[in-house]
Amino acid sequence: MAASAKPVDARDIEVLHRPNIASADVQLPAVRDYEQVDREISATLSPTAAWYIGLFTAVGFLLIGIAAWMYQIYSGLGVAGYNPPVMWGVYIITFVFWVGIGHAGTLISAILYLFRAGFRTTIYRCAEAMTVFAVMTAGLFPILHLGRPWKFFWLIPYPNWRYIWPNFKSPLVWDVFAILTYLTVSTTFLYIGLIPDIAVLRDRERNPIRRRIYGVLSLGWRNSDREWRHFARAYLFLAAFSTPLVLSVHSVVSFDFAMGLPPGWHTTIFPPYFVAGAIFSGIGMVFTIIIPLRKWFRLQHYVTLNHLDAAAKLCLFTSLVVGCAYMVEWFIAWYSGLQVEQDYFWNRIFGQWWWASAILYTCNMVLPLSLFSQKLRRNTTWLFILSIFINIGMWFERFVIVIPSLSHEFEPWQWSGYRPTWVDYAILAGSFGWFSMWFLLFIKQFPVIAIAEVKEIVKPRLKKPHDHGIDVAGQHLAFERETPGEHE
Amino acid sequence: MTVRRREFLKVLGAGTATAAAVGCGTGEVERLIPYLVSPDETVPGVSNYYATTCRECSAACGVLAETRDGRVIKVEGNPEHPLSRGAICARGQAAVQGLYNPDRFRHPWVRRNGSLEKITWEEGLQLFAQKLGEARASGGASSAVFINQHESGSFPAFLDAWLSALGMPPHISFDAQSDFAAVAANRQSYGVSWPRFDFKAARVVVSFGADFLDSWGPSVAQQLDWAEARADVARAPRLIYVGPRRSLTGLNADEWISCKPGSELVIAQMLGGQASVAAAATASGVPAAQLADLQRDFTSLRPNLAIAGGTGPGAMQLALAVNALNQANVGSTVRVDEPVTAYDGLDSPAVARAAIERMRAGAVPILFVRGANPVHAFGKAARVAEAIAKVPFKVSFSSVPDETTELCDLILPDNHSLESWGDAAPVRGMVGLQQPAMDPVFDTRATADVLLELSRRSPATAAQTPPAPDGYRNWLISRFPGGARGLTAALPAGLTAGTIAPRAGRAGVTVTASPAIESTTGDMYLLLYQHPLLGDGRGANKPWLQELPDPVTKICWQTVAEIHPRAAERLGVVNGDLLTVATSAGSLTLPALVYLGVRDDTVAIAIGRGRDGMGRYARAGLNALDLLGASASDASGAVAYASMKARVTKAGGHHELVTTEGSARQHGRGIARAVAAGSLGQAHSAAAAPTEARGADAGAQHEDGHVVPEMKGMASREFLPGLRAPVANDAQGDLGDPNSNDKGMYAPDHWSGMAKRRWAMTIDLARCTGCSACVTACYAENNIPTVGAEWQNAKVFPDRTGFGANIIRSREMAWIRLERYFEGGERGESDFETRFIPMLCQHCGNAPCEPVCPVYATYHAPDGLNVQVYNRCVGTRYCSNNCPYKVRYFNWFGYGEPARPHYAFPEPLNWQLNPDVTVRGKGVMEKCTFCVQRIREAEHRAAAEKRSLQADEFTVACAQACPSRAITFGDAADSSWAVTKLIDDERAYHVFDELNTYTAVVYLKKVNHPREGAAVAATGATTGAAAAPPAGH
Repeated sequence: MAASAKPVDARDIEVLHRPNIASADVQLPAVRDYEQVDREISATLSPTAAWYIGLFTAVGFLLIGIAAWMYQIYSGLGVAGYNPPVMWGVYIITFVFWVGIGHAGTLISAILYLFRAGFRTTIYRCAEAMTVFAVMTAGLFPILHLGRPWKFFWLIPYPNWRYIWPNFKSPLVWDVFAILTYLTVSTTFLYIGLIPDIAVLRDRERNPIRRRIYGVLSLGWRNSDREWRHFARAYLFLAAFSTPLVLSVHSVVSFDFAMGLPPGWHTTIFPPYFVAGAIFSGIGMVFTIIIPLRKWFRLQHYVTLNHLDAAAKLCLFTSLVVGCAYMVEWFIAWYSGLQVEQDYFWNRIFGQWWWASAILYTCNMVLPLSLFSQKLRRNTTWLFILSIFINIGMWFERFVIVIPSLSHEFEPWQWSGYRPTWVDYAILAGSFGWFSMWFLLFIKQFPVIAIAEVKEIVKPRLKKPHDHGIDVAGQHLAFERETPGEHE
Repeated sequence: MTVRRREFLKVLGAGTATAAAVGCGTGEVERLIPYLVSPDETVPGVSNYYATTCRECSAACGVLAETRDGRVIKVEGNPEHPLSRGAICARGQAAVQGLYNPDRFRHPWVRRNGSLEKITWEEGLQLFAQKLGEARASGGASSAVFINQHESGSFPAFLDAWLSALGMPPHISFDAQSDFAAVAANRQSYGVSWPRFDFKAARVVVSFGADFLDSWGPSVAQQLDWAEARADVARAPRLIYVGPRRSLTGLNADEWISCKPGSELVIAQMLGGQASVAAAATASGVPAAQLADLQRDFTSLRPNLAIAGGTGPGAMQLALAVNALNQANVGSTVRVDEPVTAYDGLDSPAVARAAIERMRAGAVPILFVRGANPVHAFGKAARVAEAIAKVPFKVSFSSVPDETTELCDLILPDNHSLESWGDAAPVRGMVGLQQPAMDPVFDTRATADVLLELSRRSPATAAQTPPAPDGYRNWLISRFPGGARGLTAALPAGLTAGTIAPRAGRAGVTVTASPAIESTTGDMYLLLYQHPLLGDGRGANKPWLQELPDPVTKICWQTVAEIHPRAAERLGVVNGDLLTVATSAGSLTLPALVYLGVRDDTVAIAIGRGRDGMGRYARAGLNALDLLGASASDASGAVAYASMKARVTKAGGHHELVTTEGSARQHGRGIARAVAAGSLGQAHSAAAAPTEARGADAGAQHEDGHVVPEMKGMASREFLPGLRAPVANDAQGDLGDPNSNDKGMYAPDHWSGMAKRRWAMTIDLARCTGCSACVTACYAENNIPTVGAEWQNAKVFPDRTGFGANIIRSREMAWIRLERYFEGGERGESDFETRFIPMLCQHCGNAPCEPVCPVYATYHAPDGLNVQVYNRCVGTRYCSNNCPYKVRYFNWFGYGEPARPHYAFPEPLNWQLNPDVTVRGKGVMEKCTFCVQRIREAEHRAAAEKRSLQADEFTVACAQACPSRAITFGDAADSSWAVTKLIDDERAYHVFDELNTYTAVVYLKKVNHPREGAAVAATGATTGAAAAPPAGH
């Protein structure tokens, strides 16, 4: 099947009838045996020149961001482009942006796991790592944007002799809990899923120090039935535990706005709208990461076009949900009869901020409609380009939520504009550097595709070698034998 | 080696002690030294007040200088003074920034080989005596010139006595800021320099360009009178403003007759019957119908009052013509019997001009200047600097650098008025006293003392000097009725009955007025006007005055060219596009400000900014006097600011406007509401509906009479929900829970009694003129930093035409701001209405800012205050986002941190800081506290005196300063306070009451006075709702 623009790789041959990959029935026809899985995936761990270049670039951006932040702490927040009453700017936008990115990982690894969506198998590790690092990035921004960042711990309830607690009525305190909980659970989930894979790495590692480290990290995994049973239980539990968090975190983040009075914020649609947007943006970022990655790591026969196709459908669906939410917002603004709200929406879409709205609606509503075309869903170049547009569009969605509301509030005398400065941009770039640094370090230490889970869908090793073919029944047998807990 | 336990502990202990000693040291040992022998009347932490006289303008209001530990920290109006009556304008309050100005001369200077060198007083006096002796020896004393900044009181006489003792002619009393045309005409018509205007007696007031509420004459007194007159809503006079540009008075007028510059005269003549309506209409460009109405109103409504304040070549004739119109009003609306004597003795600027011409001719051997600044005042084209440069020896007594002092050879800096003895003659029969409120900040000396010292040390002159040469104070005492005892008795009040014989003010000998404005070339009239805050430019180096937005244009730190929307369209420019304004004298390129209140054939520019020689703040903006003709003058010799036409062209390029204005339209939101005078007393009737901003209280009744039922959850139509309750219940979390047993201080029966009070404020928009004195009062009281100076931002937006990088980003910190909304005039009509509304923290009973703060940095005090705890604030700024009134301000930079470029109080400006109020660090939010320091001070004083707080015992800084007495502060839960009566006024309303914020600030609707018989036509179209929201709704 030569849907993609690149020359057909022999191993990238898809099955002709394109199985329903959104189910557990997923095949990797070009993956023949466990040994191949171990070999190919652990081969991705050896550093290359390109990786070093990427890492140094990421660290370079990070240093720029750190320098800008230090300058900002020294001088005051005024060096950023705040323009009262626009008291929140690029940092909060970027915070919501990264939290949103941080959603897709757990959605893919947990919710799709519970739904037995087969296409998650080969992309979930990548998405999950992305989640952890995105939340780590996001978590910086509420601190970055504080007037006195060195006092950030006052938002955390800790016992103190003054009996001063944070204000539990404030959505910002809810944020602290939501983000920290989400970070803890998603990190745990990532690590639990990694244990069998770390054991594989430990077994293949020749460097004694690294071997020792992997040994500790794998918690002495011996591949016993008992271990698998506990593992599967734990994994299932964490998946179930993470699922509500996926929905809650971004709902709580949306409360930062929905609990506020400014026009455009004070609306009950925000929680579902934010969650849908978050998933949408997360899948966009997954595409942005996984499409180059599968190419560089030569893993096209693991992350197949079928996988991307299925993920693209999810992307399309969330785009439609988000688009629907946008339209509900417009409708409610009109239907509310609130003049302040109507003025604000007019100004946001046709007035001062038309360009931001135009970027947002083009990237998030119009361009993703192309995914109705199966051809485009299976065109990795287009998916990559589209994913970049989605990232931009989702950043601008948050821009459009934060900035126009604050700039066009109740008091006409205080209407204003907003223009970020180089400090905002440097810290924004620094956040991408920070995220990329962690991600790049991760992919050279841990397998970016879940070895154990891939093995589950690879044909079992049969007594006699045979030709290419699909042996679905055999696969099921393999599942039964190898992962006792899986189907209970 | 083994370490034993004991050794280990020793080392550990020593190390810890060292670390503690090093770590905790501040590097500098500071000692608290108690007063062993306390200076008289000094109680640490308690202010002393000295009644003295403000010298910021010639009016010389009485003020109280508040001092703390020997430093002046604030200037307030003197309640017993006939002019200020406890109020004070922004310029008066900024006197402390003159006192502590970092650019003040700190010691004497001498110019040697072109550069200034620091000298001692001894050297300075020797040099002065030597040069004076040389001048006298060469017989040049008789042609010496002493130009003194005009002031009333004894000093002019003292100076003349000193000069004549040394054989020198009398000094020239110079004031470029006062309207000399009006003074000269008054002297001619009434025999007094300045009558008192009794607005209360008038039924209609016509102002011909006189900005009597803001910068023209004794404005505080006039504003107090005006507000008093307008407060009596039923009998209030109607104000008609005639002029090419609506000044602040123009914006307060009920009607604007927008005539061509210079044509005010023909309109005055028309009212006097010397010109026909048709002729006046042709000459002035005003529709004949409007003039006919004016004529009918002016003649039928009696007593009337006409006031002239023109600044063109015909200003003197205009003033005389207007005084003639008042012929019948003398004794009723024009009180010649109670004149303001502050302008007595003021010489015509023509006298100074003549002296300058003598200097140009090389006939002046020695020049003394004190306070006056003729180089700046007459404009660049007059080439005053060249003339002064020809004088061999020039002495300046100015305390601040300026363009004239820059040319002087010897600078012997005078004390600031707050450091000096003196007196003033504010009104007839009264002597105002001026006493030093503190020791001189710098090594300066009072000029009078310098002159006396000079006489004493020169044996040749000693015999001829005025009596009592041991100091000017003794000289004053010797002349004071009752001597030292009398003076001591008069000092607490700061004034006493008596008369100081004024010197005769001289008219210009031969004055030729500049040619009529029509005879100059250009495509637009050029209207230069004195900046209402900076005056002729003397306030330019005071950051408060630079940062305080012009009450009319709302521009700060910048010079702009005001043009009408139609002119902007014609020129193809929008706000901020650069215009080149060129006259025969010079040209300026500056950004356009589209302003409704200027004629479409006129370009208006404020003078006062762009001062190169005056200091760090004064450099902001451009000097519009560069456009003034060489001898722009009227028949009295007054500088004629509006005497030329100019060529106005689009220059290309754009600059941000340094303005605090977001949108000048209310978009139907009912923030500043108004009501027609005739409809009062019948609230909620159909007649009131069209004039109410939001259509007769939106919820109750729609404009079409359709009654909307009240819904649960909506703000109640019943007035003031929650305000009478001591506190709104839901503001305190558990403590406010009605079921809670432990309410702490919120319990009404708590011993502190705090929950029994509800601090509240009313602001009467019918009184408020928008003058913005309250804003400066707030800056002074609450240590608010100015943020607009160029160096205070990391040059994010460099702007050549003015400072204000932070202001461009709306980062001004004014806790109270004056919003100025226009109603009507969408198509550039001249009959638009202006509504001023001071906006400050509303201290909501149900404050949106409180629940969102994650760290309780803002919370609700039991007495109804919405409190901000700076120490606790981490700077999430969520409170500001959630504030519908947008009255929270964030410290973007370390404005209060001395080591930073953004520092707002460079030494010694920081001496002004109020020790009762924290100087906020960077990264925290701040806002109006209702002057909580004053509330607590009053409570503590009452507690110390074992009594309860008396009604209206104290007030907040803005209310105290307000020259129109629009602001009333008090306890809304105690009906003995004045504020409670105003809360019950039928005009009272809350801003955004639909948000259920239960604000503690209650506004009283502005009252419009449409022409009788044309009530709806005049204001009906100017409701808030008429300002259509953007198309598409």
